Amino acid sequence: MTKNTRYLALGSTAILVFGLCTGLVAYYGGIPSLTASHAGPAELEFVPADASIVAFADVRDVMNSELRQKLRQVLPGDQQKREELQRLTGIDIERDIDRVVAAVGVDGEQSTVAFLSGRFNPTQIEALALQHGGQVVEYGGKRLIRGVKEAGDGRHEVAPALAFIEGNVLAIGAEPAVRKAIDARASGQNITANTELMKIIGTVSTGNNVWAVGRMDSFVNRMPQEISSRMPPIEWFAATGRVNGGIHASLRAEARDDQAAENLRDVVKGGLALVKMQSGDPKFAALANSIRLEGSGKTVSVSFSIPAEMIDLLIKSGPAGLIHD
Amino acid sequence: MTTKSTGYETEPSGSRPGASTKPQTAPGFLYAALRVFDLSLGQMLWSRRTIFMLLVVGVPVIMALIIRFIDAMSGSTMQVNGVVMDGPAIFGMMIWMFFLRFSVPVLSIFYGTALIADEVEDKTITFLFTRPIPRGAVLVGKYLAFLMSTLIVVLPSVMIVWLLIVPMRGSLGTSFIDLVKDLLILATGFAVYGAFFAWVGARFKRPLMIALFFVFAWENAAMLFPGYMRRFTIAHYLQGLVPHAMPSDSAVSLLQSVFQEIPTLGTSIAGLAIIWAVFLWLAARIVERKEYVLEQ
Repeated sequence: MTKNTRYLALGSTAILVFGLCTGLVAYYGGIPSLTASHAGPAELEFVPADASIVAFADVRDVMNSELRQKLRQVLPGDQQKREELQRLTGIDIERDIDRVVAAVGVDGEQSTVAFLSGRFNPTQIEALALQHGGQVVEYGGKRLIRGVKEAGDGRHEVAPALAFIEGNVLAIGAEPAVRKAIDARASGQNITANTELMKIIGTVSTGNNVWAVGRMDSFVNRMPQEISSRMPPIEWFAATGRVNGGIHASLRAEARDDQAAENLRDVVKGGLALVKMQSGDPKFAALANSIRLEGSGKTVSVSFSIPAEMIDLLIKSGPAGLIHD
Repeated sequence: MTTKSTGYETEPSGSRPGASTKPQTAPGFLYAALRVFDLSLGQMLWSRRTIFMLLVVGVPVIMALIIRFIDAMSGSTMQVNGVVMDGPAIFGMMIWMFFLRFSVPVLSIFYGTALIADEVEDKTITFLFTRPIPRGAVLVGKYLAFLMSTLIVVLPSVMIVWLLIVPMRGSLGTSFIDLVKDLLILATGFAVYGAFFAWVGARFKRPLMIALFFVFAWENAAMLFPGYMRRFTIAHYLQGLVPHAMPSDSAVSLLQSVFQEIPTLGTSIAGLAIIWAVFLWLAARIVERKEYVLEQ
């Protein structure tokens, strides 16, 4: 072997070894910047560590999107509701809310909480809650407003509670969940410590203005036995959306093993082939053709796009009720 | 071609008067194959074919650089046919389109069919065959050199593409196992396609045409329809191992993905092992027995 051949072989081996070592270290979570453990919005620091589903919406981005501007023109009723909400709470949804992060814990409704980030007037919101029978209690150094709403027969039901976790972050949800969020902020025991979930968040949080990730068993446990027993063995799911001129959405599932993923891919593939073959209407052929099945290993992913041109078509010609003549 | 020591040298008679002449034994098959490998590796790597190979593996790297640059500059997501794609999905697509469907078969064709044909064409095969080594070892040694030279050029290219593309909205950690599978599959692909085309090169007079027909006509056609015909392709067993979903980028690939019948891991490995062993043995056997007539 000549010297040049030996150098080439050594260089090639060096590249391979470097790449494999980098991958190995990243695989075992040793390179935080590459494993995206700090991904996602800052509000994740308030999400309790045991949350099984986390969702995010970049409200500002969606509100400023071309799609939203088009819808505003054809849905004037929306404007009235917005103004009414602003009169009561001082919140202009279009301008004052930047992001929303929602989390659902293992207890379902009782562990559901949403974090709204933006510009709020705490005094006005607290006054409004008190005016409607709310009570203010101190918890973890925060003012927790327990909502009370009247039931039809004169009884009172407990309504969602809310608290300003930070000056610009309003937590709203079931009272135990809001309390837990206050605890999570104080103790630092939050969802960012869940490396498995954070890895998935890392893959969805960039480039999408709406996303949700979670463990599938949270859903399956609440389903009837007949349905849950027929569900494919999915461990995690991640739904993402990007709203701009059009909409791009994807749903990714992580199956229990490669074989389960392969089976799921086969099922989805069959379904997609059927959809594509039946999309005779040219209006929807583009939509059907945009449906794409991806995935490798345990991952199965389906994505689709509704281009801006199709949105325009839908706004102009239907579906019925979208346009108020 | 330059000749080199094969480990079998005779001492000039009478060089040491009175010394007893050592019994001369021909080197074993493996030793002879390794000597031919050593001799051929440099020739293959520094030949004009390598320029073609660098072009084939350089295009994905350049594309990865461009994609990464566009991603960094625009900050927006990468779209293919209007569909937003993250790094691992783009990498999976590149593995299918650039490497599995193109680089592996094409490089195997150009190197595999030429293992013996080049020596015949250059009329240098006599130098190899007049050595006291098994003729089959010549083919096996050249086959090993082909395998090594393609792997040391192609695998780093895959690695660079992976390092550039996957971090775009993806994680190196989560796609690491798939990368290892990809590297193993590509190496297996070169080994199996190489063995098959080595047989084609040794057996047929116009091996290039037959090899191109096999890859671009026969394999595509057989994979297009449901049934057992696909079992007579290498792609059927190789593609069954790929961890990435097959991209539906054309009508042919859409049909292929619809009718894709994925063999089990055991079937794929057994199928590839059988093809590799049978065709490498056949190629060596043909070289052992064939009478090569050099045209004047």
